[in-house]
Amino acid sequence: MSEGPMAVVKPQMKSFIWLQTTDGSIQQVEEDVAMFCPMICQEVLQTGMGSSKNYAISLPQRVNAAMLGLILDYCRFHQVPGRSNKERKIFDEKFVRLDTKKLCELTSAADGLQLRPLVDLTSRALARMIEGKTPEEIRETFHLPDDLTEEEKLEPLRNITDDPRIRLLNRLYARKRKELKEKQNLKNIEVEEEQHVDERSVDDLLSFINGGIEDSKGARASKNKRKNRRRKEQPRNSSLNNENGDHKESNNFSSGCIHSDSNNVASPSKTSMSKDMASVIFSPKLGFNEGDIDDELDPAMKEQLDREVEDFARRLNSVWPERMQELLSFGQERRLVPVTINGNGSFKRCTEDKILLSRFGQEMMVMSSSCLVSLSV
Amino acid sequence: MAQSFPEDVLEHVFSFLNYDKDRNAVSLVCKSWYEIERLCRRRIFIGNCYAVSSEIVIRRFPDVRAVELKGKPHFADFNLVPEGWGGYVYPWIVSLARAYPWLEEIKLKRMVVTDESLELISKSFKNYKVLVLLSCEGFTTDGLASIAANCRNLRELDLGESEVEDLSGHWLSHFPDNCTSLVSLNISCLGSEVSFCALERLVARCPNLKTLRLNRAVPLEKLPNLLCRAPQLVELGTGAYSAEIQSDIFSNLAEAFLGCKQLKGLSGFWDVVPAYLPAMYSVCSRITSLNLSYATAQNPDLVHFVSQCSNLQRLWVLDYIEDTGLEALAASCKDLHELRVFPSDPFDAEANVSLTEQGLVAVSEGCPKLQSVLYFCRQMSNAALVAIARNRPNMIRFRLCIIEPRAPDYLTLEPLDTGFGAIVENCKELRRLSMSGLLTDRVFEYIGTHAKKLEMLSIAFAGDSDSGLHHVLSGCESLRKLEIRDCPFGDKALLANATKLETMRSLWMSSCSVSFGACKLLGQKMPRLNVEVINERGLPDSRPESCPVEKLYVYRTIAGPRVDMPGFVWTMDEHVSSRLSRVTERRGD
Repeated sequence: MSEGPMAVVKPQMKSFIWLQTTDGSIQQVEEDVAMFCPMICQEVLQTGMGSSKNYAISLPQRVNAAMLGLILDYCRFHQVPGRSNKERKIFDEKFVRLDTKKLCELTSAADGLQLRPLVDLTSRALARMIEGKTPEEIRETFHLPDDLTEEEKLEPLRNITDDPRIRLLNRLYARKRKELKEKQNLKNIEVEEEQHVDERSVDDLLSFINGGIEDSKGARASKNKRKNRRRKEQPRNSSLNNENGDHKESNNFSSGCIHSDSNNVASPSKTSMSKDMASVIFSPKLGFNEGDIDDELDPAMKEQLDREVEDFARRLNSVWPERMQELLSFGQERRLVPVTINGNGSFKRCTEDKILLSRFGQEMMVMSSSCLVSLSV
Repeated sequence: MAQSFPEDVLEHVFSFLNYDKDRNAVSLVCKSWYEIERLCRRRIFIGNCYAVSSEIVIRRFPDVRAVELKGKPHFADFNLVPEGWGGYVYPWIVSLARAYPWLEEIKLKRMVVTDESLELISKSFKNYKVLVLLSCEGFTTDGLASIAANCRNLRELDLGESEVEDLSGHWLSHFPDNCTSLVSLNISCLGSEVSFCALERLVARCPNLKTLRLNRAVPLEKLPNLLCRAPQLVELGTGAYSAEIQSDIFSNLAEAFLGCKQLKGLSGFWDVVPAYLPAMYSVCSRITSLNLSYATAQNPDLVHFVSQCSNLQRLWVLDYIEDTGLEALAASCKDLHELRVFPSDPFDAEANVSLTEQGLVAVSEGCPKLQSVLYFCRQMSNAALVAIARNRPNMIRFRLCIIEPRAPDYLTLEPLDTGFGAIVENCKELRRLSMSGLLTDRVFEYIGTHAKKLEMLSIAFAGDSDSGLHHVLSGCESLRKLEIRDCPFGDKALLANATKLETMRSLWMSSCSVSFGACKLLGQKMPRLNVEVINERGLPDSRPESCPVEKLYVYRTIAGPRVDMPGFVWTMDEHVSSRLSRVTERRGD
């Protein structure tokens, strides 16, 4: 065409990239805006897609039309080179003033498009929404389930059976428990009657176990410590270390205590429950593979362990009844702990475990296993 | 939050949470957050090394890069915790070495650190960067030599106020010639001289060195050599700040300081010769942190120097500053956040300087940002405390040490209950409080009623009865640490508030009236507490149940009783109690 005065001046041709979101809608976007997104850029350069409607680039599922719109607004602003840092900052601050749901969607979408600066911006905004909140408040903000159960909070303590020594001790503990129970049964007819049938499900028992496990863990730990103590004290205070004397004394003491235990306990079911609890906790049926344990230990260690276990067993006889009493009374005391947790005065219906655990402060929680997960509320 | 929210993005969100409190809250939200959070937690703070075992920590957090541990209780600083009590870090180092080969940072406070531990640290971690030992003990300069020699990328070595056995100053020469990574070096607690040449070369080859705190043995004349090689320093601790008065020393010093355009913090100043203070005038206006607690300079030199620092935010100083100096400070340093005034001569009954409550009142009036105070003085009045409380409702830490125990309001001779009551009532954000002077149960009533954000409380020679302790334990909702000495508190309040103790980090009571019997009962009833009795005189022979314990340290724990206690420390559980009763039986009591 000639370039006379009547020549049509063509408008500057802009290139467009065609994008398709999962809901099926296809749109065209200015090239320099779209190419600001690394994922789109990559697609265009590597596969040549996006040049026409039929060859629209399929965006990841997380990027719906609404989010795409927002992201493109972001890109449209930031891809202009002339803007000052201050301008950009002001834009960004306004940009993230979204409700929680949108902010989450946007973060996810930005990540899908690999748009790092926007991911950072939205992530920081989400972090600010989390800061200073309690777990309950965070759950409310983000509509998350409260699915950490009491059992789970306490459960990991049961996993402290990795140490072969502890498994060995548990096994012996179980045997001793059985022996003790048999002795009781012979001595105390009442107790025997209550033993007969426990019709509750395994689940009930397990949940009760979890309530009691932490105490017995404490017991185990303190027994280990006692063992060391005893060795240390032997040279120091031999008058207190008449082993045979101790043994006899404690045996009498223990049977006396059991007797009084069963009489003093509030309800018969509680007695049987706790006794069953004892046997279930430490029963070999709970999955200790006796064969495995011995194979893992070398002979020298095994010998030492045998000695330690014997020592431990002796102590078991003297201490177990007291421990039972404690477990029972401690369980009752826990129920008496007041319920209010939050300052807002609302009365939360929680189990006593959660109440107690919720009173722990943050440091304890940092250190804890998931049992102590709950201790950080 | 949709199910499809990707885990790695959530991890990224968590990475912007700087406070442990927030991380902890996050891990309690739901199962998936708990899992994600624990896998990406990199920093762990353990306020009491006996509250948890390293096994539990390692099992829960598989990839930790920084660990901070505290050992002995705070009152160890006042020699109330006997030698050998505990706080040994070695078992922790062994576990950490095995589990975290990429560990970069270890910070310890009030722990016993041996050369063995230091050597293990130096050899176990591939990218070890930061070692901070605050108020630690048990190691020698040989341990430091291992660290210097083996940690190729060491960034920070801070010996805090540790007690180090100084075998020789040569340890510093163990830093290899290719070590250029140092950012922070604090050797101020060391007694003996380090090789100056080695120090000079080290400083010269570390271009990122920002903090350098020298020990007393580094002479003032040589300071310019170091400053010239490190003009980028942000924090400087001088050695002895004294030399013969010579003009060339002065001019060298002044010139060297002139070159330090980034300097913001100063400390050191042992044996200060006031004539040399003006050499620093060129940096004073940029100084935000000034530690003159070893500087025995007096007014007018002292106040003149301090007044030059118009941007001062933190000042630690001896009571030589006197009331007049504090008044000048109040007038010139409007940005002051923190003031600590230490006693120059605490054991003298008579005041050797003119520092009274007036100085503190003046600062509280003149410095609107003042939020942290540690003040030693010899007299106090309720009126002054009320004034301070009204002036500074933004106070966060308030520690007042009136040197004479049980000193009353010197004007009215009344107890200081009203004064401290005003502090807790007005300063609603108060997190830490130390009290002194004559105090009755009433002050504890005020504290229990008002101090809802109080986290740490230190009490000495105060109160009349168990009522006082009961008010604190039942009223202070945020209480984490409570330390008490020489107060007439017995069993009742302690036992009545047993469950409260599980919500706190620790309780210390020494020279009070808590009986063995009560400790035993507490230990039996509360399996998640370690109830430790420290009795250097051994267990009592007769009537142990009602005998008072010397010292009691109760702390919550999930690690059970500890196994490293010395002979004079007992964990009160059934075992001890049965031993106690056997003792009683045998003696026929």
